[in-house]
Amino acid sequence: MRQWTSIAKETIARASIVVKFLCFLHVTDSYLLSSNHVLGPSMLPTLNITGDVVLVEHLSHRIGKLGSGDLVLIRSPLDPKKTVTKRIVAMEGDKVTFSLDPIRNHSSRSLVVPKGHVWIQGDNLYVSCDSRHFGPVPYGLIEGKVFLRASMAT
Amino acid sequence: MGGWSSFISIVRSLCLLHAANNYLGTTVITYGPSMLPTLNITGNLLLVERISTRTGKLRPGDVVIFRSPESPRKVVCKRLIGMEGDQVTYVVDPKNSDRCETIVVPKGHVWVEGDYIYDSKDSRNFGAVPYGLLKGRVFWTLLPRKDFGSLAPKPK
Repeated sequence: MRQWTSIAKETIARASIVVKFLCFLHVTDSYLLSSNHVLGPSMLPTLNITGDVVLVEHLSHRIGKLGSGDLVLIRSPLDPKKTVTKRIVAMEGDKVTFSLDPIRNHSSRSLVVPKGHVWIQGDNLYVSCDSRHFGPVPYGLIEGKVFLRASMAT
Repeated sequence: MGGWSSFISIVRSLCLLHAANNYLGTTVITYGPSMLPTLNITGNLLLVERISTRTGKLRPGDVVIFRSPESPRKVVCKRLIGMEGDQVTYVVDPKNSDRCETIVVPKGHVWVEGDYIYDSKDSRNFGAVPYGLLKGRVFWTLLPRKDFGSLAPKPK
């Protein structure tokens, strides 16, 4: 009987170390720095189609220091389980001019980004599904800013 | 050293608190007239659980909190009226007219409305809210004491 209690105590002690470490990792991940794997053709030539490991920092969007030109990780407004990587083209109040179909026609539309929203576009306009299709995205969906690519360029 | 080890234990308990906050539940203080008579105008302390939003088990009729699409620093509390694909009929401007409009909630979004539609800024003003902005489901009132308990369902 005494054997089992001592084994149980040791298991709990070791498990609590793992849990504490995971909590610490989770806090760093959501408030400081995390690494993410991004793939897809919508950000060519900036990011690879086959996949890149990027470092994402989670401070700038909380203190409001994001601007147009930043690469951000943003939760998709179409599918809340997916996170997409796109570039901020315009912040709230800016006027944005865009072309829905750059291959077929050269017509373009303009609109002003509403309050509390941002306009995101992929660097590869021909295959990117972004704000030109689903409209401006609320700022609250931004999860972090990409600042470093950690994999080797192929 | 005593100072260092107490600092470490404070950091540990904060990390644990943060993890519980993000994955289990938290408390929120709300005020304002938009959820009368369910919630007080002067202030309520509510218990929020985060499991339903993460597992996708929200249903119309739940009171939810979400980050405001117009002011990203503010957290708003309203009632869920329609999930994606639902058809929602709402009164556009109940103070001035009885005109109704019907829309289908787009994919990945939800429709929220306050219980007191005469003084509520909700989806009728800023449109359907992306599901990713939802932060939790309110399931218990702690304060004021007379309202202690689960929340009332949507008033007819």
